[in-house]
Amino acid sequence: MGIWHIIIIAVMCIASEVTDARKISYSGGGTLMVKSDSSAKSVYYHYSPSYKFSLGIEAQKDIFRETKGSYLRFNYLLNRKNTNTSQRNLYFLSGVSTDNPNDLFYGVEGDWETRELFSGFGYTKTEAAGRNISHSYVQIGIAPYVGDYGDLHTWLLLKSKKNSLTKEWQTYPMLKFFKGNVLVEIGYGNQGDWDLHGMYRF
Amino acid sequence: MNKYSWYVIALLASPIISADQHQMDHSLHENHGHTGHSHQQAVDGAELDVNPEKFDRFVEDLTYAKVAVISVQGMVCDFCARGIDKTFKKDTSVLKVDVDLNKGKVLVAYKADQEIDFDDVKHKIQSNGQNATDIQLVSI
Repeated sequence: MGIWHIIIIAVMCIASEVTDARKISYSGGGTLMVKSDSSAKSVYYHYSPSYKFSLGIEAQKDIFRETKGSYLRFNYLLNRKNTNTSQRNLYFLSGVSTDNPNDLFYGVEGDWETRELFSGFGYTKTEAAGRNISHSYVQIGIAPYVGDYGDLHTWLLLKSKKNSLTKEWQTYPMLKFFKGNVLVEIGYGNQGDWDLHGMYRF
Repeated sequence: MNKYSWYVIALLASPIISADQHQMDHSLHENHGHTGHSHQQAVDGAELDVNPEKFDRFVEDLTYAKVAVISVQGMVCDFCARGIDKTFKKDTSVLKVDVDLNKGKVLVAYKADQEIDFDDVKHKIQSNGQNATDIQLVSI
């Protein structure tokens, strides 16, 4: 591990302790996620010491690079705006390979959500062995009905994504369901690939 | 952008977030200790801004309890509210919790002799990433 990586990780850990930090999930909560799409398949667990950041580990199979590996993950809530009817978020995402500290990714994700409308975007860049790949996406959605607490909630979404290898935007519909602590997202691209995302919050 | 710049941005953003999250509405109701009011009225006589049917269902099995109706900003989805539910249920003085997503309210039933500290309530809501801006109390 290079000296810069040690310094960066150390600074991140120190900063996390000194800030009155909270995170995406509630303080003390854990989240298990599984994801499968045309670029990667992964299983990811993170723990949120606070709602402002999470620490986790992700086992990932990168389809573009044809590699398997594990990443130590650090996510940070850069900004959040709560109103009576909406929430807006901006997150910093990062991960460092457990096998090779020069294999890492980082990026940002943002979203704005009301009870009926959703919009989001993301950009991540993966750097490994001098081969850089970037992924971008934008997403919008509507809720066809507004459910009560504890109901099954449904979202109709439209997602466009692009990576620096194919350099083409791919747009496809997605469905998102959640009830209680379980969330499932399902999308099907026009190139015949599924975009699946499941989440359980402990 | 250099990859290390992302880490620097993350660290620099910390004070911005702290300042943003501490912007609370200071026009808070601080009502304590009275009994004998209807279920649709707070102890200060104000009308409860909560779904009446949901509130009646919430209190129907309660006796000798104190209900806090907490106004929360940023509670826009069921999944977001789960953490609030779990955080309050860890409190041994809490009897039950429910959420009115349409009105942006959290209903918390406490034991009747429990003193309710709004700062503690705000802290619990904030630990889920949302902001508590108001509280109304009802004695059952």
